[in-house]
Amino acid sequence: MQPDNVRIHLPGGMNMPPFGIHQYLALIIVAVSLWALGSVWMGLQATGQWVGTWQQQMVLHVYLPQEHKKELQALEAGLQGVDGVAQVEYVAREDSAQWMRQWLGSSTLDVKTLAERLPETLLVRLLDNESGQFIVDDIRDVAERMHAAMNEDEVQLLGMREVLDKAETLIWFVTVLLALAMALIVSNTLRMILLARADEVHLMRLMGAKEWFVRMPFVLEGVVLGAGAGLLAWLLLWPWIWGSSEWLAGSMIELHVGILLLPLLIGGALLGCLGALIATARLVSPDSVAGA
Amino acid sequence: MRYCFAMSERKNIIDMQQLMLRYPTGKVALSGVNLTISQGQFVYLTGESGAGKSSLLRMFYGGLRPSSGQLKVQETDMRMAGEAVVRAVRRRTGIVFQDHRLLFSRTIFENVALPLRVQGWSNERLIPRVRKVLEFVRLDDRLWSYPEALSGGEQQRIAIARAMIATPPVVLADEPTGNLDEETARHVLDLLMGLNELGTTVIMATHDLHLLNSHPGRVIQLHAGALVGDSYATR
Repeated sequence: MQPDNVRIHLPGGMNMPPFGIHQYLALIIVAVSLWALGSVWMGLQATGQWVGTWQQQMVLHVYLPQEHKKELQALEAGLQGVDGVAQVEYVAREDSAQWMRQWLGSSTLDVKTLAERLPETLLVRLLDNESGQFIVDDIRDVAERMHAAMNEDEVQLLGMREVLDKAETLIWFVTVLLALAMALIVSNTLRMILLARADEVHLMRLMGAKEWFVRMPFVLEGVVLGAGAGLLAWLLLWPWIWGSSEWLAGSMIELHVGILLLPLLIGGALLGCLGALIATARLVSPDSVAGA
Repeated sequence: MRYCFAMSERKNIIDMQQLMLRYPTGKVALSGVNLTISQGQFVYLTGESGAGKSSLLRMFYGGLRPSSGQLKVQETDMRMAGEAVVRAVRRRTGIVFQDHRLLFSRTIFENVALPLRVQGWSNERLIPRVRKVLEFVRLDDRLWSYPEALSGGEQQRIAIARAMIATPPVVLADEPTGNLDEETARHVLDLLMGLNELGTTVIMATHDLHLLNSHPGRVIQLHAGALVGDSYATR
């Protein structure tokens, strides 16, 4: 029978070639690239939360001094007429007082008196995808005509969201480029292994092996290499979280690293598979059936 | 040595009519070859270097396609055969090379098991089968060794074991004794003869004409791509 110290490793089919130094090197390179991508996407998630993109719709507050209170209805109608505005709501003084009470907590300040001195407040909700500078200018025009003013901090946040949208597009572009580069790294590694095993491939073909049988070990190796790199990249994201946990908590940012596991794992596996398919696309042997 | 023309009533393993092979470079490797090889024959393909022996052998397993004429191998038209059909022919053909082409990073077991491995055999079925075939070439004690631990003659015997493990009806041997001394070559040829006695058709390209004295068989002589002789050599 088979001795205990002998491990049978027949080539072809679902048997992967053993991992060697080239595969480990490629795994580390792909893992670092995926980790860099994961970090960038995580950073985008944090920035998104920081600027408030978690909101379903962007809102702007328009303040009308109490001496112009009689223009409130005209202001509300004027704002409602601006293209891109979904809804205009009056924020009742009692609601403001309630919010301030919660915000001030155990403070001894007289919230009711404070709330009575607040300007009249209108909350302007924008339609989805209507966050451009033009709509802000239109709202500001209407507000200034009625002696009202906008919350400029919110306007700046609105601009920040545009920057984030552009950054997201750029990150997608970089993601695709890096994905292609990673697929080529996997492909190059597998190509080296293929060249080292050219005799084996040639022999299997001479013995009548089917093409899937010859190529499958390399495709499997690409998938395992990519998925392994994805998992390693995900694990490497955790030091980021642990290192910045205090700052994240202070900024009211709650990152969900778990949701990056599947994209990194599946993305890595798909990249590995793509690399393997590129590597095995031109796998010609001297007496291969197709080349005969 | 006595020569006579071989006649056989048995099923034809190889049948070719007006076979021609022209390489893409324009060189004509074989021209107008008519030949029939019956099941169970031991056939020597002889001729000078470049006579077309290796090209003919390669056509028998679909490594090359005829440019014109007809070639039937195990009742398969090799000119028209699709990839799946050529694969099926290869599964029914054992091949022994001059340089044996063993995989040095694999054990003897893994080398010999390869033809059945590509046919989907499990390890449990393979181990007794490989052991039995190695008994035939008298190397069953080297099952878990690596080829580099064997002599040239032993390596060639392993190659023969690999060629015969799937019990193919035909074994093609391209100069299997070319790199061996006379004594070792005789042992290797003994094995091929033994295989032939079990009913396998053996077609062997060779330069070693002196082997015909001790190991008789049908001798097909090629010269410059043409068939110039077809005789039978006896002791």
